[in-house]
Amino acid sequence: MFDLLIFVAIPYISIALALFVTPYRYLSGRLTWSAYSTQFLERKSLFWGSVPWHYGVVILLIGHAIGFLFPSAVQSLLSSMTRLFVMESIALGLGLLTLLGTFVLLFRRVFTGVRAVSNIADYIVLLLVLNQAITGVYMGIFARWGMEWYLHTAVPWLYSLLTFQPNVALVSGLPLAFKIHVLGAFLILAFLPFTKFVHFLFFPVGYLTEPPILYRWVKRRKA
Amino acid sequence: MDVRAQLVMVFNLDKCLGCHTCSISCKNIWTDRKGAEYMWWNNVETKPGAGYPRFWEDQEKYRGGWVVKGNNVKLKAFGKLSILLNIFYQPHMPKLEDYYHPWTYEYSKLYEGGEEDDQPVAEPVSLITGEKIEIESGPNWDDDLGGSPLYAENDVNLEERRILNTFSRLFMFYLPRICNHCLNPACVAACPQRAIYKRGEDGVVLVDQNTCRGWRFCVTACPYKKVYYNWNTGKSEKCIFCYPRTETGQANACAHSCVGKIRHVGVVLYDADGIDDVIRAREKDLVDAQRRIILDPNNENIVRLARENGVPESWIQAAKTSPAYDLIKRFEVAFPLHPEFRTVPMTFYIPPLSPILATQKIAYEVEDCQEIPTKDMLRVPAKYLSRLFSAGNEEVIHEALDRMIVLRHYMRAKNLGESFDESLLRKSGLTEDRAERLYRLFTLASYDDRFAIPPAHREYDAKDVEQRKGAKGFGVLTGPRGGL
Repeated sequence: MFDLLIFVAIPYISIALALFVTPYRYLSGRLTWSAYSTQFLERKSLFWGSVPWHYGVVILLIGHAIGFLFPSAVQSLLSSMTRLFVMESIALGLGLLTLLGTFVLLFRRVFTGVRAVSNIADYIVLLLVLNQAITGVYMGIFARWGMEWYLHTAVPWLYSLLTFQPNVALVSGLPLAFKIHVLGAFLILAFLPFTKFVHFLFFPVGYLTEPPILYRWVKRRKA
Repeated sequence: MDVRAQLVMVFNLDKCLGCHTCSISCKNIWTDRKGAEYMWWNNVETKPGAGYPRFWEDQEKYRGGWVVKGNNVKLKAFGKLSILLNIFYQPHMPKLEDYYHPWTYEYSKLYEGGEEDDQPVAEPVSLITGEKIEIESGPNWDDDLGGSPLYAENDVNLEERRILNTFSRLFMFYLPRICNHCLNPACVAACPQRAIYKRGEDGVVLVDQNTCRGWRFCVTACPYKKVYYNWNTGKSEKCIFCYPRTETGQANACAHSCVGKIRHVGVVLYDADGIDDVIRAREKDLVDAQRRIILDPNNENIVRLARENGVPESWIQAAKTSPAYDLIKRFEVAFPLHPEFRTVPMTFYIPPLSPILATQKIAYEVEDCQEIPTKDMLRVPAKYLSRLFSAGNEEVIHEALDRMIVLRHYMRAKNLGESFDESLLRKSGLTEDRAERLYRLFTLASYDDRFAIPPAHREYDAKDVEQRKGAKGFGVLTGPRGGL
C-alpha cells in the first residue's frame, strides 16, 4: 500500500500539479516569480550556504537527468570499476556539499535576521531539500554503487510511470532511504509551482547572445 | 545617424538648498511600501561626503559601471559567463547596512503606554524585523557634514584631504541624485533575465516587474547604485522618471516640488549611432564626446532625420524649446555626473558657484573686481568639481564657471545702468540675447520655462489601449510573497 502511494499515487499527483499549476502561476502571478534572495539582508553565512548548495545540487540534478535520459550510454561508461568509483566519489562529494549548504541555509533562516522575512514556505523548501540531501548522502555511503542500480531500478520504473504502466515491483525491494528520497523528490515537484522553487525554471541564458542594451518601443520604427 | 529623443533632467546646483523636499515627494509617491522603505529613488547628498549608499562612487569597492579593455567596453563587475557563475552569491553587491537599516518609532507607546513614573518614549524599531534597534545611519546621515573627518574625508573625489583641516578652505554643496536614465545603462546590460529595458520613445529605463526574477546583477552593475533590491517582493526597483506624470505632460514629482526651482526637464535629440564613440572616448574627452551626440533641434537636417525615425512632431517642437538642450549644449554649463563610469548618464548638473575663500587676502581682492569673485576665489575647488562632473577635465569646468561669472558681471552692469564690454560676453561664447536666455533659466524660470515635457503618444499603441483599460498600473498589487 505504502509502495503504491509513493511510487504511483504521489508521483502522478505531483507531476499533474507541476504541469498544470506552474503555467497557471506563470500567467496569473508572475509578480511573485522570484528567487527571493536574502543576500541583501545577510551575506556572511549565505556564501557558505548558497554557493555549495547550488553547485552541489545543480550538478547532481544534471547527473540524475543524464542517467534517466541515456541509461545505456551511462551503463557502458560505468562498466569500468575505476570509472564507477571515481564518478560515485564525485557524486558523494557533491552530496556532502549540498548537505553542508542546506545546514548553513537552515541555520541562517532560524538564527539570523533572515528569520524576520521568512514565511512557512521558506522552511518547507529547506526541509524538503534537507531530506533529499540526507537520504542521498546516506545511500551514497550505505547503499553503494547507486549509480549502477539506479539505472536498473529507478530509471525503468520512471519510464513505466511515463508510459502509464507503473511497475512498482522494480523498486519495491529497495531500502527505505531510497523510498524517502523518491517521496521527497516528488513532493518537491508538487511544491514547485507553489513556492520559490519556480525560480530555477528560468535559469537565464538567452542574454549570452543578445546585444547588451535592450530597447522596448511602443511602436517600432524602421526595422 | 540614428536620431532619437530622450527626456533629460538638469540640476542647477547653485540653487540647491538641500531641503530634501524632492526626496520626500518621491518617497510618498513611489517607495512608501514594504520592502522599499530603505529606497530613495531620489536622494540629496552633501559633497564632499560619503553619499547613499555609503561610498557609492568607489568602484573598487562596488565595481559598478563599464571599463575599457583594449578595443572593448566591458562591465567592471562581471563578464557574460561570470554572471552565470556568480548567480548564487554576488561578492560586490551592497548590503542593507551600506544604505541604512530602515526604522520607525513606536508612536503607539505614547498614548497606549499606560501610567508610568517617566515620560513615555517612542523608541526606534526596525521596519524589517520589528525589533528595537539602535539607529546607526540614515539616508542623509552625513547631511551638511562637508568637513567631517568621518565622512567627507573619505570622499573618493577629494584628492587633497588636507583641505578639511584648513578652516578657511572648507566647502560643501548639495548633490541631488535620481536614476540617470543612461544611454549605455550598465544595469540593462547586466540583467541576464532581460527584465530591464530602455524605452525607445523617451529613454526612460525601467524594470519589468513581471520579468524580473531577482538575480540582482543590476544592483551591482549600476555605478550610481540607483537600482534597489526589494527584499519583500524579491525584485529590483528603480526611479521610473515619474513616467505616469511625464506621459501626461506633468513634471516629475521631485522636479515639481523642488523648492529652489533647481530642476529643468526637457527633450534632447541625440544620435544613437554615436554612443559607441562616447563610451570609448579618452577620459578627458568624455564630456565633449557626449555633447557631440546631443543634436541641434533647430537644424533642419536633424529634424528631418528625427521625423523619419518616428519622433513625433510635438516632441520635436519640445526639443526646440528645451531648457535641457540650452543648458547642456548651447551654453555648455551642464555636465554629466561621473562620465568616467561610461554609462553615458542623461541627467546633467550645473556646477555651483560657491562663496569665496575666507582668507583675508581674497576678501580684499574681491573688492577690486566689482564684488563678484573670479573663479579662482571660489571655495569649491574646480579640481573637485571636475572629478565629479568631467572625469577630471578641469578645463571644461573652468569654461562653465567663467561663463556664469561673466553673466553675473553683465547683469550687474545692466541692472545698474553701467556700460559693459560686450567682447567679454563674446569671449565666453555669449551674446546679449543668449545671456538674457541663460539669465532667465538661472533665475526667473517659471514652470513652463523649466519644464518642456511633451505628453507621450500612446495612440500609437491603440490596440493596447483596450487591454490596458482597468489595468492596475505600476506597482506590486498582489500579495508579494510567493508560497503557501
